[in-house]
Amino acid sequence: MNAIAFEHVKKTYRGGLLNRHGITAVSDVSLDIPIGSVFGLLGPNRAGKTTLVKMLLSLSQPTAGGVRRFGEPASQRHTLGRVGYMHENHAFPRYLSASEVLRFYGGLSGVPGENLDRRAENLLERVGLADRKNEPISRFSKGMVQRLGLAQALMNEPDLLILDEPTEGLDLLGRQLLRDVVREFKQSGRTVLLVSHVLTEVDELCDELAVIVAGELAFRGKPAELTHNGQLTLEAALKDLYLKGAK
Amino acid sequence: MNIPTILLTVRWMVRDTFRQSVSTKLFWVTLGITLLCAAFCASVRVTGDPAPAQHDWEIPSMLPKNEAEKIGIEKVREEGVRVVTGEISFGFGAMTMPSARPREDTVRFLQVWLAGWIADTAGVLLALLWTAGFLPTFLEPQSVTVLLAKPSPRWSILLGKYLGVVGFVTLQATLFVAATWVALGFATGVWTSAYWLAVPLLVGNFAVFYSVSAFLAVWTRSTVASAFGTLIFWLLCWTMNYTHLRMSGVPVEGISASSSFLLDLGYWIMPKPLDLSGIFFDAMQAEALSTKPAELIEAQKAGNFHPEWAVVSCGAFAVGTLALASYEFGTLDY
Repeated sequence: MNAIAFEHVKKTYRGGLLNRHGITAVSDVSLDIPIGSVFGLLGPNRAGKTTLVKMLLSLSQPTAGGVRRFGEPASQRHTLGRVGYMHENHAFPRYLSASEVLRFYGGLSGVPGENLDRRAENLLERVGLADRKNEPISRFSKGMVQRLGLAQALMNEPDLLILDEPTEGLDLLGRQLLRDVVREFKQSGRTVLLVSHVLTEVDELCDELAVIVAGELAFRGKPAELTHNGQLTLEAALKDLYLKGAK
Repeated sequence: MNIPTILLTVRWMVRDTFRQSVSTKLFWVTLGITLLCAAFCASVRVTGDPAPAQHDWEIPSMLPKNEAEKIGIEKVREEGVRVVTGEISFGFGAMTMPSARPREDTVRFLQVWLAGWIADTAGVLLALLWTAGFLPTFLEPQSVTVLLAKPSPRWSILLGKYLGVVGFVTLQATLFVAATWVALGFATGVWTSAYWLAVPLLVGNFAVFYSVSAFLAVWTRSTVASAFGTLIFWLLCWTMNYTHLRMSGVPVEGISASSSFLLDLGYWIMPKPLDLSGIFFDAMQAEALSTKPAELIEAQKAGNFHPEWAVVSCGAFAVGTLALASYEFGTLDY
C-alpha cells in the first residue's frame, strides 16, 4: 500500500475580480510514495512543492484529481492522526511554554491524556530542550523553535513524517538529530517525505526523489538515476532539469 | 463525524483561549476593572425609608425631603404625602446627595445603571474590541497550518476558539456581577437576586456579536476589520432595534408599506441588543426607577415587545453566523 498517492492532481489558485483569473500551481501530477520509503521532493522556488504538501495535509483542496493518505481519500481527516508535520516557519503560540506546546498539539493529534506528559518529557529530552521546558517560547531562538517543531511532529508517533525545509535555522547538532530521526523512521518501516533545498541531505537520506518544475513532475526515481550513476553531481542534474522546465 | 475528536478539540481550544487571555493580560485588566467597580459599590451608603406597600390601584405619594421643604414638610404631610428622607453617598461619604427613592429602589437604580447600561453597553463593546484580535492572530497561516494538519475538523477548531472566548467573558461577567452584588449587599444591606440576570444578559449580548466578529476574522483575517466591523454592526443593530421599538410604540404617519416591511424584516433578522436589555430592565422593575427607555415602555404597552422571540431570533442569528464562518473556514485554502 502507498502512504501517499496523488492522482492527476491539479491546483489553480483563483484571483482577481470575480475570481476570473487563475494561477496554476500544480498541473496533472500523479505520484505515489510507498510505505517505508524516505522520499525527497525537490524543485525550484514556486514549482508547486508546497502546494502538493498542502493538498496532502488537507490544507487546500485540489482543483481536479485526488489525494490519498494510506489508501484513503484526503477528505478522511482521521488519517491525519497518523501524520506528523514539521513546517519551516511555524509560529507556535508565544504564550505557551515548550512543554505546553507539545501537550497542546499532541492532545489535538489524539494522544491520550495519560501519555501526553511522558511523551512530551521524552521528546524535549531528545531535542535538547528539557532544561527550557517551562520557559515561554517567546524567548526561544529560531533553532530552538525548529527543534520544538520536530518534537511536535513526533508527538503522535506518526507513520508518515512530512518535513518541509526542516533544516532551516538548525545548527550542526540539530541537523544530525534530524538525520537520526529520519534513519529511525526508515529502520522501523515508516515513511518520510522530505521537502528540501539542501541537496547533500536529500542525497544522503532519500531512497527516491521527485522533482517538480513549473507545476509538473519532471523526474521521479532514485538519486543515482538522476545523476546517471554519478556522472553528474546532483546539483548539475537538477540545474539541467530546472532549466528545461523553465523553457 | 467523530464525536470524541470534536469534544477533545473543543476542550483543547477552550483551554488555549483561557491561557491566551491570561498571557495577554486581558484577564487581569478585566479583573482589575471588576475590582474597581466592586470597590466603588463597597463605598456606597444608602439611607431612606423602606419601600411603602404598594397596590395596583395605589398612586405612589411621596416627595423627597428637599422638595418637601420648599412646600413645607408639615403641609405636605397634612396632605397625606410621605416625605422621603433618603440619602445616597459615594466614596465612603465623600459625596452625598438626597434620594427621592426608598432604600431598596436606590440600590436597584444603581444596579440597573451598573449592569444594564454601563456593563451591557460599554462593557460588551470593550470586550468585543479587546477579544477581536484573538481569532485573526490565531488564523494567520503561519500560526494555524500545523493545527489544521491535525485530525480535528476545522469547524470544531473555530467553535472551540469561539466557546473559549465566550467562556472567558462568562467568567468575567460572573465575577463582575458577583463582586458588585456582594459589595453593594454588604454596604447597603439590600440583596436583589434579580441582579444576577445580568450575567446571561451580558454573555448573551456578547455571544451574539462575537459570532459576527468570528465571521469577519475568518473572512478578512484582520483584527482591525474584525473589531471595527463588529462595532459598526452593533451600532446598526442598536439603531434598527431602537427605530423598530419607537415605531411600534408610537406609529408614524406616512411611512410606506414596503419601508415598514423592510424595517420589520431587518428587526427580526438582526440581533436586538435593546430588547435583550429590556428583559433585564423588567426583572429589575426598572420602569418604576425611571431608568427604562421610554420607547421600550411604549412598545410594551402597545403589545409589540416579545422578549422570548427576541432571545430565540438572537440565538438563531448567532448560530447562523457561526455556521457561515465555519463554512468559510472549512473551504479556505491555506
